Amino acid sequence: MWKNLRSQFKALYEGYVEEFRYVLHDGGIVLFFCFLPLAYPIIYSLIYNPEVVRDVRMVVVDHDRTPKSRELVRNLDACQEVWITGYAADLGEARRAMDSHDCYGILEIPEGFQRKIGRGEQSPAVMYCDMSLLLRYRGFLVAATNVAQEMGSEILASKIDETLPIAATISTGDPLPIDNISLGNIENGFDSFIMPGVIVLILHQCIILASGMAGGGRREHPLRMGVDPRKPECHLGARMIAEMLCYITILIPPTLFLLHYVPLMFAFPMAGNILEIFTFIMPMMLACLGLGFCFQGIVWERESVFLLWVVTSVAFLFLSGLTWPRYAMSPFWHFVSGLVPATWGVEGFIKMNTNGSTLSQVSPEYIRLWILAAVYLAAGYCVRRWWVMPAVRQRASAILRQQSQSEG
Amino acid sequence: MKEIPRKGFKALFVRSVLQIVRRPLYWVGFFLLPLFFFLFLTNLMQQGLPSQVPAAIVDKDGTSLSRQITQNLSSMQMVDLTEACDSYTQARQDMQAGKIFGFFLIPENFQADLLAGRKPVITFYTNMTYYVPASLLFKTFKATALYAKAGVAVSVLETAGVDADASSLMMPVNISARPLGNPWLNYAVYLCNSFVPCVLQLMIFLVTCFSLGQEIKYGSSRRLLDMADGSIVKALAAKLLPQTIIWIVIVIFMESWLFRWNHYPMHGSWWWLTLSEVMFVLASQGMGVFFFGLLPNLRLSLSVSALIGILSFSIAAFSFPAESMYPAVGIFSWILPIRYNFLIYIDQALNGIPVYYSRIWFAAYIVFMLLPFTMLWNIKRAMKRPVYAP
Repeated sequence: MWKNLRSQFKALYEGYVEEFRYVLHDGGIVLFFCFLPLAYPIIYSLIYNPEVVRDVRMVVVDHDRTPKSRELVRNLDACQEVWITGYAADLGEARRAMDSHDCYGILEIPEGFQRKIGRGEQSPAVMYCDMSLLLRYRGFLVAATNVAQEMGSEILASKIDETLPIAATISTGDPLPIDNISLGNIENGFDSFIMPGVIVLILHQCIILASGMAGGGRREHPLRMGVDPRKPECHLGARMIAEMLCYITILIPPTLFLLHYVPLMFAFPMAGNILEIFTFIMPMMLACLGLGFCFQGIVWERESVFLLWVVTSVAFLFLSGLTWPRYAMSPFWHFVSGLVPATWGVEGFIKMNTNGSTLSQVSPEYIRLWILAAVYLAAGYCVRRWWVMPAVRQRASAILRQQSQSEG
Repeated sequence: MKEIPRKGFKALFVRSVLQIVRRPLYWVGFFLLPLFFFLFLTNLMQQGLPSQVPAAIVDKDGTSLSRQITQNLSSMQMVDLTEACDSYTQARQDMQAGKIFGFFLIPENFQADLLAGRKPVITFYTNMTYYVPASLLFKTFKATALYAKAGVAVSVLETAGVDADASSLMMPVNISARPLGNPWLNYAVYLCNSFVPCVLQLMIFLVTCFSLGQEIKYGSSRRLLDMADGSIVKALAAKLLPQTIIWIVIVIFMESWLFRWNHYPMHGSWWWLTLSEVMFVLASQGMGVFFFGLLPNLRLSLSVSALIGILSFSIAAFSFPAESMYPAVGIFSWILPIRYNFLIYIDQALNGIPVYYSRIWFAAYIVFMLLPFTMLWNIKRAMKRPVYAP
């Protein structure tokens, strides 16, 4: 018993050292561990770093040409979302400007705009929006609502003053102020919204890609990766734990960089406790390693990981519920998304990092991550034990036979 | 692998087809993954908008007026009042735990303060960490608050003896928005039409580099060149033509899938759109070959393809406009075939404007198709002396 345990520990230690040697000698895996987590988040954050969409071009068709209509245009232009680039004589001309991509919106003010306001009727204007990007449309809508509301309360106040001096004594100004507050991502920025999720996804994919590539390498060159069919099989469990320990050791600096320094550099919301976040992300890394072991079952060649796995990032991004919330998914996709470690990792990390939740508040996600880790590691063990290792050993003996033949 | 012992274009073509048929990995790359994504993205967002956003109301007043506001809010289409919280703290905790995406707060003594003219403040909170549901919630909360306000203003004026019309009182200026092409604000229309072709671009890059890199890795590139009588153009053409045919079939299937079967807006000419898709395939392949020419090594060219292919989803400006990015970053959106595919889709399908306005983008595709010719020398050099560096 004691002897067995000792040999297990020895295998563990040897495996740990050996795995380090393989990983550090493999340019492909080093690239996954260094370039991917270090450069990717920076490039990504730089793309979205301006955070908000400002000054989207708009053309005005003013059929009224009165002080009030000009005031409306001036107020819109003063909003940060809109930039009025000019007037068009008619809708046709404005349409041509839009077709030539000179503007993304048209404001049409009908004749009698000011007269209607004077008469106390509701005065309509129409805003045509290009729908290629929702952020532009959203900016237009926010600006138009704000301007209409402001002009509305001004008109209301002046009307009350004119027609009903007594009302002003009852209630001056706004009787019921409305306040809205954005929580979490307080700037409503796009970068602060998407990047925390992407950061976790990068970590997730980097582990699985590296693990898959190592598996492919073992399959292609089993002798170089220390699989020798002439020797008895080593303890697979100890070996896998050694691999995992090695990966986690290597991953500590990139993880710290991703989860702490990237948000710091780009001033994303950072409401969480970094120690709790690390505790939280640990089971996700284990689940990813387990998934990576399972993935090794279908990787026959180092480079095929690119073909098989890179595109899944897009699926995982959507399944995580970052853009399309999970509550709106159909039961099937809801279930599928629950099987991906990244879903819970992204959700928990966002809640902790952006909304300042504590570890106990994200316990559902945390528990699910541990369950996924256990399931995937067990599945990974089975895949390695009965599917990958026999194939690798077979290939190793084939290579050995070939070598002895060519020597003979 | 058994080779066909002949030379020339036809023999090479047959060889390439056999390579694809014999390797299940290619089936995954060509068919399984792209088709999965077609189905996945369109099916995931089938609803169009994630309505019924879980939210809460914190009613600290508990009067008839505050209950009426609660009723108004719960009757809104976009919101689902799942929690009733007693305090701000409780609502915040629910939001932090992800049960709700925002909440509406009616303060204590709301009705009394309002009637006495002490101006109570209605506050609503939205968790902007989740952009889409929070934006929908914001809209609904704001509308509810405005209705409440209109009701108050009307009753104040009525007590003073003025016959008031609520709509003209609250909104003397009404700017109505007309979302052109996508009046339902359908999120699937907006996302699938850019993301699905972008998945395809990524797969085209990867498969192109993978198939070329295999020749170098296994040293069969010399034989490939031999069969093409030493002509690199002929070798590449025969190698890639079967792939081109498969990709064109898939891209036309994608077009039908999106616009015919899913009924996404199609206001223009099918011919121009089809031409764009076909040119998109060729342009992406051209770019893939260019990457391979730049780094004629299986792993490095695949790394570059994966990097650019995944970055395309962001840098091609499907969600964040290129003109709002830093100029030094935004400029890279123009070096991607998918960018032109996206712009042509906007013009020809969503907006249905004359093709004259998209002429430059069709021309841009041609530049990508010509790109490989700048790198032929390097591919030939590598193929003559295949070295596999892991």
